[in-house]
Amino acid sequence: MIKTFTQDDLVRYIYKETTTEENSEIEQAMLFDDALAKDYAELSSVVLALDGAQVAPAQSSVDAILSYSKSYHLHSA
Amino acid sequence: MRKYAISDSQLISQYKNGNEEAFSTLVNRHKKKIFTTIYLIVKDQYLAEDLMQDTFVKVVNTVKSGRYNEEGKFLPWVSRIAHNLAIDHFRKAKRYPTIVMEDGSNVFNTLEFSEVSIESKQIQQDTHALLRDLIKELPDAQREVLMMRHYMHMSFQEIADATDVSINTALGRMRYALINLRKKMDKKNIAYDQNLYPR
Repeated sequence: MIKTFTQDDLVRYIYKETTTEENSEIEQAMLFDDALAKDYAELSSVVLALDGAQVAPAQSSVDAILSYSKSYHLHSA
Repeated sequence: MRKYAISDSQLISQYKNGNEEAFSTLVNRHKKKIFTTIYLIVKDQYLAEDLMQDTFVKVVNTVKSGRYNEEGKFLPWVSRIAHNLAIDHFRKAKRYPTIVMEDGSNVFNTLEFSEVSIESKQIQQDTHALLRDLIKELPDAQREVLMMRHYMHMSFQEIADATDVSINTALGRMRYALINLRKKMDKKNIAYDQNLYPR
């Protein structure tokens, strides 16, 4: 019997907070439940878009961080 | 979350043993998520750069002095340091700490994109800027959960504990945040690849 899942379950699934067993059940359910598959596709598309909206720091900041680490013994002495 | 050939935990171990290259890998692996966490709070690119460096000074000091606790995961730990420093900044400045953002004038010049045409790049930049505007419009509670889960990599249980709500409420807020964003994206006609839904 195919279990039913909610959008909250899909959110947990997308963020990998479901168990291995739940993963199989959700993937199985999506094969038969078009509405669930559509919800998954829509929620996933937003999550993907959020990744793209990230901002990167300047390379100079990264260089300063790495430089601080390399000279740590000088700061801590 | 993406899976890497070498885990954060392994890189931390190597870094503890003096491997600076391992630290460089960690910083470059997570710099965008951590910087975004700070930037979404302080709304100022230059201040965010300073707080990013302050965050990693604490990380270096903690790891190199042997005080790093392996119990937690690396990214949520660093993100929380970053989050706390950003909030502290508001407290010191006696400003009300709201998790909102506003596009800075040059901040998008620092966005990293894959090799694409100038036109595609412009479209991507416009899309990402629009999306950040849409996140800004979300109700506070939804925006907070979205930031904590997506950019700070806190689990829903950790978010529930931190915000003093049930895990179902935290999950519900995240769901509403995603659905609201999706509706807003549709309304603004923001493009996304409808054929690509990897986990």
